[in-house]
Amino acid sequence: MDQIKKSILHLYPTTKFLVTLFLCISVFIVPGYLYAYSVLFICMFFSYLAGSFKEFSDLAIKALLLIVVFIFILQSFFYPGTHVIWSWSIFSIKQEGIDFALNLTSKIVAIGSSFILFFRITKVKDLISSLEALGLPPKVTYIFLSTLQIIPEMKKLTIVIMDAQKTRGVETEGKLFTRIKAFLPTLSPLILGSIAGTEERVLTLESRAFSAKVKKTSLYTVEKTKYDPIVRIILLILLITLIIWRVML
Amino acid sequence: MSMITIKNLSYQYPIVETDVLHDINISIEKGEFYAVIGSNGAGKTTFCNVIRGFIPHFYKGDLRGEILIEGKDIRDWELGDLSQKIGYVFQNPFTQISGVKETVFEEIAFGLENLGLEVEIIKEKVENVLKMLEIEYLQEKNPFELSGGQKQRVALASIIVMEPDILVIDEPTSQLDPQGTEEVFKIIELMKNKGKTIILVEHKMELIAEYADRIILMQDGKVVKQGLTKDILSDEDTLQYGSALPQYALFGIEMRNQNMDLGSIPLTEKQSISVVQQWMKKEGLA
Amino acid sequence: MTTKRGLKYDFSLIAILLIPIGVAINFVGAQIVLLLKLPVYLDTIGTALTAMIGGPWIGMVTGLCTNLVKGILNPVSFAFIPVQMGVGLVVGLLAMSGMFTKAWKVIIAAVLVSLTSTIIASPIQVLMFGGATGNSSDALVATFLASGQQIWTAVFSTKIINECIDKVFCLLIAFFIVKKMSPRYLSKLNYGSIFIKSKKQ
Repeated sequence: MDQIKKSILHLYPTTKFLVTLFLCISVFIVPGYLYAYSVLFICMFFSYLAGSFKEFSDLAIKALLLIVVFIFILQSFFYPGTHVIWSWSIFSIKQEGIDFALNLTSKIVAIGSSFILFFRITKVKDLISSLEALGLPPKVTYIFLSTLQIIPEMKKLTIVIMDAQKTRGVETEGKLFTRIKAFLPTLSPLILGSIAGTEERVLTLESRAFSAKVKKTSLYTVEKTKYDPIVRIILLILLITLIIWRVML
Repeated sequence: MSMITIKNLSYQYPIVETDVLHDINISIEKGEFYAVIGSNGAGKTTFCNVIRGFIPHFYKGDLRGEILIEGKDIRDWELGDLSQKIGYVFQNPFTQISGVKETVFEEIAFGLENLGLEVEIIKEKVENVLKMLEIEYLQEKNPFELSGGQKQRVALASIIVMEPDILVIDEPTSQLDPQGTEEVFKIIELMKNKGKTIILVEHKMELIAEYADRIILMQDGKVVKQGLTKDILSDEDTLQYGSALPQYALFGIEMRNQNMDLGSIPLTEKQSISVVQQWMKKEGLA
Repeated sequence: MTTKRGLKYDFSLIAILLIPIGVAINFVGAQIVLLLKLPVYLDTIGTALTAMIGGPWIGMVTGLCTNLVKGILNPVSFAFIPVQMGVGLVVGLLAMSGMFTKAWKVIIAAVLVSLTSTIIASPIQVLMFGGATGNSSDALVATFLASGQQIWTAVFSTKIINECIDKVFCLLIAFFIVKKMSPRYLSKLNYGSIFIKSKKQ
């Protein structure tokens, strides 16, 4: 079990991405909503194998449940159709609407869950490192890595500033207008402070030869495993099989 | 040939109408330790930025006169190439981290990665620097989570690992406690002993008196005095240019003004003790 | 100005450093809204701000990165990448033509930006998500539909109302923050000069 978990987590990021891509494409090849919905369960199974079932399920529910419910509500009531299966005063649910919603939501759920799975089993750092190896420019990787570090730092700082504002007497609760007034004093020192720091950050980066015109090396690298080519070949075979089956049908 | 030669240098920042540097002439010799002193707003940081090439490469504005690094004009150097020639460390420990690394080890390696060195060599060099600066215990820590003093030492390590010939260090201790200050100065001394040329902006006169070979005194964008540390810091006249003197020198000057001649003006604690002992012997007090 | 303006000119190192901060501001803006329980989104302040002082390209990349990072937790955001990029682009272009120098101009700019984001977002919402977004504004779409509107007009009307309120606040906040920036800092940015000039007047 642990062995399987490790093999999945250690797969090369682009291999994992190909799995995601395959799942996304397959829902457009296989007709109907049943297969597309089953992709959710396929992803669940993989997340279970990779030891991240709970995170996967939490995120899938948070990201997809509401939107799916709303699509059903909007489409089943308001999709133009004649086969009324339930009605109350001016509202009526039509079969056509349900079919449309099933079709649409199954694809959203399939694509959504395969991406959620991808980011549960792939460290963003690894993904960026593999993209760098594919030739992504260092300035771009810098932007991504720096973004991922800054967000949690700024969020922490926000809490600190909000507490400081509270002790200075800025109201953060109560009437809507009071709360609106608290917004700017919280945000603006945060922004002005971090933006003022960019000037010296440029000096820091220049001092560290960031703009030197040589090919950079990297201490952190991700290696391909022996399973990577196997997974890729299986994906290719599956894809070809699906296409042939679809054409023959 | 001097490491750095500056001739008739003047500079004006964009959107400002007046010069921040006026007609500076100076040459920096290899292996010497220069302290740049003067009151706030004297142009010390601007002076450092010119030497490091951030003026005119990053800060626009109007640069006149000549500044040659190893005989080549600063305008003809690429910023990337200068990073291996001149290391630059400044005041704020918080903006001197790359912002993309998760450990101190990786942080220090960042400059070498940018220079495209092989991974094995990078690891070796980083390990050496960690050992030399005695900060091995920090190597697994997140650079964001260090104290100011620790950040500043990591900043120094990140520059030193690139092995520049010249180190320009702008008020590295102004935001540090005495302990942090002392540790930073230990590192600077280490670099001097390795033969690096050092240009340091600093307000703490006692430390300058102890470590620096030469002084560059600035006021209102001009170099008003330059020379050996012992000459400049023992001269009462230096006070007129908005600079302080070490307390030991002030003591010596005061003694002389009170007609108690110590023979020479002491600059450091050690010197004070020895001249006072000699003086007491001479006066028959001991 | 007659300087040649290419991608390289816009993506100077200092402008690149604005992007992660812009993305973080978008996140933090949304976080504060949540903490203060405000009835708006305010999650494009960073995009607007970087577009104003870093130019349209930097604004677009900030928008792109914002939704890429959001997508790590909620892939639905990937679908709305063009909306954030559109906001960055249009704010950047409006800033270049001096629309962020006075408060009343900012309000007009907000309407134009809202129109842009609505035009980009509506087709995505209708064609890819059947008119839903998964948040409270869907109730308004349902109300429009119940009153006999077509899905396109229902989504468009809902969006334009929401967007106008949100973007007026976002852009005004960004405008006030840029006003507080020092001329010395603005002078280092390729697109900062227009704000320095407006200060002198």
